[in-house]
Parts: sequence; structure tokens; C-alpha cells
Amino acid sequence: MKPGIFARLNRMGAWMALLFLVLPALIAIPVSLTPKRFLSMPRGEYSLRHFETLFTSPEWLSSFAQSGIIAASTAVLATTLGTLCAIGLWRVTSRYTDIVRAFLLLPLIIPQIISAMVFYRLLVPIGLIDSYPGLIIAHTVLATPLVLITVSASLANFDPKLEQASRNLGASNWTTVRRVILPSIRPGVFAGALFAFILSWDEIVVTLFISKFSVYTLPRRMWNGIRENTDPTVAAAAVVLIAVTLLAFVIYALVLRHRTQPGASEG
Amino acid sequence: MTQTATGGLTLAGLTKRFGTFVAVDEVDLEIRRGEFLTLLGPSGSGKTTLLMMIAGFLDISEGDILLDGASIRDIPADKRNFGMVFQGYALFPHMTVRQNVGYALDVRGRPRAEIEARVDEMLELVQLQQFGDRKPGQLSGGQQQRVALARALCFAPPVLLLDEPLGALDKKLRVEVQDQLKAIHRQVGTTFIYVTHDQEEALSMSDRVVIMQDGRIEQLGTPNELYERPRTRFAAGFLGKSNFLTLDDGTYALRPEKIDLAPAGSINGAARLSGTIRDITYFGAIQKFMVAVEGRDDIEVDVDSWRNPHDLSVGQKVDLAWADTAAVKLEDT
Repeated sequence: MKPGIFARLNRMGAWMALLFLVLPALIAIPVSLTPKRFLSMPRGEYSLRHFETLFTSPEWLSSFAQSGIIAASTAVLATTLGTLCAIGLWRVTSRYTDIVRAFLLLPLIIPQIISAMVFYRLLVPIGLIDSYPGLIIAHTVLATPLVLITVSASLANFDPKLEQASRNLGASNWTTVRRVILPSIRPGVFAGALFAFILSWDEIVVTLFISKFSVYTLPRRMWNGIRENTDPTVAAAAVVLIAVTLLAFVIYALVLRHRTQPGASEG
Repeated sequence: MTQTATGGLTLAGLTKRFGTFVAVDEVDLEIRRGEFLTLLGPSGSGKTTLLMMIAGFLDISEGDILLDGASIRDIPADKRNFGMVFQGYALFPHMTVRQNVGYALDVRGRPRAEIEARVDEMLELVQLQQFGDRKPGQLSGGQQQRVALARALCFAPPVLLLDEPLGALDKKLRVEVQDQLKAIHRQVGTTFIYVTHDQEEALSMSDRVVIMQDGRIEQLGTPNELYERPRTRFAAGFLGKSNFLTLDDGTYALRPEKIDLAPAGSINGAARLSGTIRDITYFGAIQKFMVAVEGRDDIEVDVDSWRNPHDLSVGQKVDLAWADTAAVKLEDT
């Protein structure tokens, strides 16, 4: 059957929207291959020199490591906090639940520049400015709402009778969470961890405010690279940043597919 | 009070309110150790609410629940040690059948060998020995139902609560599972408290049935007592079918199969009513006659098909007769 005009328009529109979203990011790929020493589109000649710089320069390598540590720590912390919050809010049925939930989502709603200033004011007096703990705490505050959202979505599909069954069979609250609830909402927890990692991995606004010399994340180095000397290494770094993000999504998709396949075969 | 063994429950003035709505209204009930007691009622009658309070999932508004004489009101659900088969089974989808069945012993920290032995025993009881390593999603509805039963009985609870456990099964399978449930009840000797809105299930399995309506106990008795001597219009109509006859001294319930019907003038004994056949429905084993009687509601008469010697047809005049004991006087009107 031939698709109708609307179906074809619809499909075309979808592709246009996709291109519109993806194209700006893909520009980084040709730019990163330029042989010139400034940001430019390559004309006929390609070179990997900027990738070489990226992977040999101690500064860039250190920034990769720092961003990785901060993003991984943020993912762990935000996932733990966000998951516990989501389960707590799911369990307690009170008219205040929605108010608490809205309150917990505030970091998503407040403009990042405001959050950045607030973190600055808070972290300076306790001496955590320009430190790993400072950045991890700030990023965790920003990322926890994302986990809360994804885990809550998973919990919406969770059959509350499973919790009752577990308790009826003699399991304590904590055992029930660990052995029945968590395994059932794992996709939401993974998704939340992934979003938290990515949020921290490319966070720049708050990072600019609360780091100076000792912590120098990847987005921050890219920002300086563009501001100071339009160094194409930035484009190479962007390509790696995109690749790592994509990789995280691919792993997530693989984990999900593995989980949805039945454990044993029929027969 | 003397106590011999465990599993006797007393509900004393048990009440559950949701805001101003009274879901369970001062229910007093003595549940005997080892009996199969069914809570029967339409949806909204409070039977599930009652079960949830016994299980400990709902707080009690007023009254108390005693297990062998001791209040369990303040014991949380996970410490009550009551088995429960949930509506829809609520099997843990990520665990195997064995892990599901052994869960209660596992969370009690029992040694592995003991758990395995007990799980084997339970799987044998429900005849699912060869399915231990499957996930619940790979089993049929009837098999899942049996896993739920094995899981609930694995830790030898004194009381087993069953919340419409056969609701999701088709009719033929339901009858089969009823027989299995009865057999298992005899075998384990646990007190079964069974919630259903299906009168056939209630009649065929229970030692005693509680008919509930609007949060109250309408009538309590053995299936036979309830069927033969309903006290109220609701009890007579909900458990089985009934004609209601208003006579000078009150309302009587009269079961359709207890009425004799024959062509006008030819009936054995005295005709009590006369009428015209308005409709005949054939059900195989029985035929249902709707008889229009002047000045009354239509009267339903069920006749065994093989006993329809007169070859009656619609429009024919008939006489109705019944024994004195067949009509039961109701307490309400």
C-alpha cells in the first residue's frame, strides 16, 4: 500500500527535525579534521593532528580524567538520592507528596546561572570552591531531579501488589526495596544514571562559577580554548565528548535489550 | 479461653472508614482453626477491605483482630506471618518459580538446604516440580496461580488469605482449580479465608460462607444453610436464584428448581398458582421456564430437561405447585 501524502509529509518533517537537531553537533566532525591551526572547515586536506594534540597534551588528558571522575561520582550520588526520593514519594500517599515532588524538581526549573551564583555563595564559606567535592555536590543537586523523573516513571508501571506480596511474605521494607522494587525499576534507574552522567559530563555554567585552577573539566577547557585561541583541538574534544555520550546511550540500549529478553528458553 | 493450635481468628467490632465512607461496619466474626471460610459479596461490599485489614495492609479504624486470642492490631504486615494469594497473583517477575516459592524462607534467613527441601515439597504439592527454573511470565495462568499458592504456603502460615485467586482464569480451568484448592486445604490444614464474588466458588469449596453487603455481614452459615434457609432477600438473591412471593404474612423466597410445573389441571397435589408460559430457555441439563402469573412478577421455574414429559411450549397454560418447606419466609420485606 502506498503511503498517503500526510504520511509522507510527516516522515519528511521528522527527518528535517532530526537534521535540525543533529547537524550543529556534526559540524564539529569536519572541523576537527582541519589541517589548519585555527577553527575552519577543511578544504580537500584532512589531518588528525588535533586529535593527536588532544590525546598527548597533559592538560587535555587531565581534563578528560577530571570530567570522568566528576561525572561518574555525580551519577552514583544522584542516582542513589533520586531513586530513594522517588521510592519514598511513591510509597507515601499524602496531599503533601506533590508539593514535595515539585520542590525536589526546583533545580531543573531555576535558571542555571542563578544556581551557579547560589553554589558559589554556599561553597566559598565552607571551603569547597574549586574542589572535586564542590563540583560533585553541585552537579548532584542539578542531576538528582532527572533521576527522580525517570525512576518515578518506572514506578508508575510497577504493580504495588508486588510490594504487598513481599511484605506479606515477611520481608522488611529495606529487603523489599532491594529485592523486589529495585529489580523491577532498573530501566528507570539506569536511564537516570545515564542522564546524570551526561549532565555533569557537559555542564559548563555552574562549573565556570565554582572552579578556578585546580579543577579544570573538559567543557571548561573547551570554553577557554574557544575564547582564547580558537584552537581546533576544541573541535576534536567535542567529537570525543559526543562519542562518549553516544557510547553511554548504546550501552544503555544494550543493557535494556538484554534485560527484556527472557531468562530461560521454553521447553 | 483454651488454645489448642493456631489459626483461629476473631474479628471484634471491626470497622474501616475512608473519610466519611464506612467500608467495613462493625463486623464480628469467629473464624475457626483450619476451616475454609469464604467472604462472598458484590464489589463494594467490603470483603476485600476486610481481608486487607486481616493481612495488615490497611489500618483498623475501630475494633480488633485476635489471632488465637491475642490482638494482632499493632503487628505490621511483614510480621503477621499470614500467607496471601493476591488477585492477579503478584508473582515476582524477575525471579524463577523456585525463588518465588522460597522467598519467604529466604528473607527469614533460613539455611539454603532447608529452603531447597521445602520448595521441592511445595512444588510437589501444587504439581509444578518440572517448572522450578521458569520465570512466571513463561507459565500459563493456572500454573501461575499454583505458584502463588505454593509461595504463600511455603512458610507454613497459620492462616492463608485468598483474594479472588481464580478471577483471571477461564471457567473450565476455574472448576479444576477449585477441586485442587479444596484438596490442598484438606492436606495442609491451614485456615483459609477466601474472598470472592462468585457464588459457585463459595458454595463448592467453603465450610462456611459469609455473605457481605454494604460493609456488614448479611448472613453466615454453611453453604447448605445459606442456600436452603436464606434470611434476607439479598442473601436469597445473591447466593443462587430465587423467586420472591409476597403473601399475606410476608415475603417468601422460592428456588426455581423447587417448583413443579404441569399443564393446567394435570398437576400432582394442589396447584398453588396458575399462569401462562412466557418464555422457555434451554440450558442442556435444565430448562428455564418464565411463567407469567396474573398480579405477580414472572415466576422462574427450572426443570430438569429429561423431566419435561409434557412437551410444554410458550403460551400454554400451566399450574405451579411446591412443597410447604420449599418456600422460605424472609426476615426483611
